[in-house]
Amino acid sequence: MEVKQLSTFFPNAANTYCPGCEHGLLLKFIGMALEELGVVDRAVMVGSVGCSTLAYKFINVDYVQAPHGRAPSIMQAIKLLEPESVVFAIQGDGDALSIGLQELINAANRGIPVTVFLYNNMVFGMTGGQMAPTTPNGLKTTTTPGGIRYKYLGPPLDACKILSGFDGVKYLKRVIITPRPIYTKDRLMYSSKEAIESYRAVLNALKTQLNGGFSFVEFLGTCNVNWKMTIEESKKYVHEVTAKMFRPGLCRDEFGVEK
Amino acid sequence: MQGAEAIAFAAAESGLEAYFGYPITPSSEIMENLAAIYEKGKYGNFRVFFQTSSEIESINMLFGAGASGHIAMTATSGPGLSLMAEGISYSFLSQVPFLIIDVNRGGPGLGNVEPEQSDLSFVYWSLGHGGTRVIAMSPFTVSEAMTLVKKGFELAFKYRMPAVMLTDGVIVHMYENISWKTSEPLRPEVSWSARGRGNGPRHEINSIYLEPKDLRAVKGDLLKKLEALKKEAAYECYYCDGPLDALYISYGISARIALDAVRDLRRSGIRAGLFRPITIYPFAGEALANVAKMAKKLVTVEMNEGQMAKIIKAETGLEPEGLGYLGGEVPRLEEVMEAWR
Repeated sequence: MEVKQLSTFFPNAANTYCPGCEHGLLLKFIGMALEELGVVDRAVMVGSVGCSTLAYKFINVDYVQAPHGRAPSIMQAIKLLEPESVVFAIQGDGDALSIGLQELINAANRGIPVTVFLYNNMVFGMTGGQMAPTTPNGLKTTTTPGGIRYKYLGPPLDACKILSGFDGVKYLKRVIITPRPIYTKDRLMYSSKEAIESYRAVLNALKTQLNGGFSFVEFLGTCNVNWKMTIEESKKYVHEVTAKMFRPGLCRDEFGVEK
Repeated sequence: MQGAEAIAFAAAESGLEAYFGYPITPSSEIMENLAAIYEKGKYGNFRVFFQTSSEIESINMLFGAGASGHIAMTATSGPGLSLMAEGISYSFLSQVPFLIIDVNRGGPGLGNVEPEQSDLSFVYWSLGHGGTRVIAMSPFTVSEAMTLVKKGFELAFKYRMPAVMLTDGVIVHMYENISWKTSEPLRPEVSWSARGRGNGPRHEINSIYLEPKDLRAVKGDLLKKLEALKKEAAYECYYCDGPLDALYISYGISARIALDAVRDLRRSGIRAGLFRPITIYPFAGEALANVAKMAKKLVTVEMNEGQMAKIIKAETGLEPEGLGYLGGEVPRLEEVMEAWR
């Protein structure tokens, strides 16, 4: 068997994410999946705006930096003109569901085969923890210091619920990327189940694109710094609060890539 | 051929690979003509015709197409151009080429759909945040619109930046005889583009430079590029070979009327001339300053409140008298003729 010399990661790239953030995990899974599928050479990553922007420092594939919320438009244009490319974006919930919702739902409706990885941490992380369309009632943000008032702002926006309405979406899944804290007698440990599931979701989303379908995976993650929590508290919060509001699970797998 | 049809034809002939657009009066006929050309499938290079969900999506699709090294364009009008400013700014710093046809309507706001030249300042000074500049050209005949479409693609790729053709509903909707020489479609050099790195190093189409020194260096390079762009400044001068009683300065459809005025004045013995910038950015300031030395008086004729007069002052220091037409009216011949005094 021929061994490919391609490596998806830049060696020596210093981690610029906050301690406890799962963005790094997501980037690793994407890189691993590109290598497993053997598509590193034809991958194009479209950067969004937010903490997800920083992906360009780590993943060594062709790269286009989009304006805030516009990654789906750029991805579709590249895919239409370069059908052999494997095009994906990592978007945050602020990027994809606030300023970029129009671009996202039009992309979903058209079903042009591209992949969106949504890292949902329920706040605007990069700008310092302002309210996002996904922020739940209990979470105080810098622009909602008194908490969210649903009467004016509505409940948190559910991306999977929105996208499940479009036939163009061929793979739709929500997973928890945050490791679950496990308390043993004498120490705190973290589960590896979430990492395995998240990696599989990345792989299956890219497989769906290779089969000619639009794919979308939402990863429930933390932002302990802006949530004003310890790392441990934030990880508990995802499993105890976030996951009850945004139910994880497979919404659609049209091509049966999960089998 | 009608202007819109001619522009669409010239784009396809020049090697257009993708059109992304959102309907807006008075530009939509360009899009419709390209839809018809695409449907016929005669041009193998023309692989994507796409009606977007907004001008924001149009500009970002242009950005994606340009970033992956493909010849792409859109046609729009003022309100659409405003929405595109964000994407144009990203494209300028990321050095992404494409062509925008701006069919200028009466503005600001919804304004009206009559012809104006009021997008000039917006396009010339900064078509986006952070010091964005774009190549800008303005045709005064249908034939010239066709050559400028091709020129727009060439310059956009040569300098790797957005290009805008400033035109209006008169040029786009009038019928004129055209001449067009069929040639090989353009094949710009795009080894820098992002379409999958293959086995080589990756290509970055990027506009994020978190360190001030990095951004300063990139902006320095862009300024050098703009300096080099100056040699592409194009213009035409009519009756500019001797002393002048008045030198008219006008562009686009206004220049048609100004040229009629100059010819009529010449017939009655008045030494009038016309300087017509073809590229608005870069602006042929040096050439204008040289001709202006021979003229007793300078008069600009334009369909706005005097936007080019301000550009001329910035480019040359000259202060021409301005004849401006607002609200969607073309210049009146008699008034233009009178202005020589």
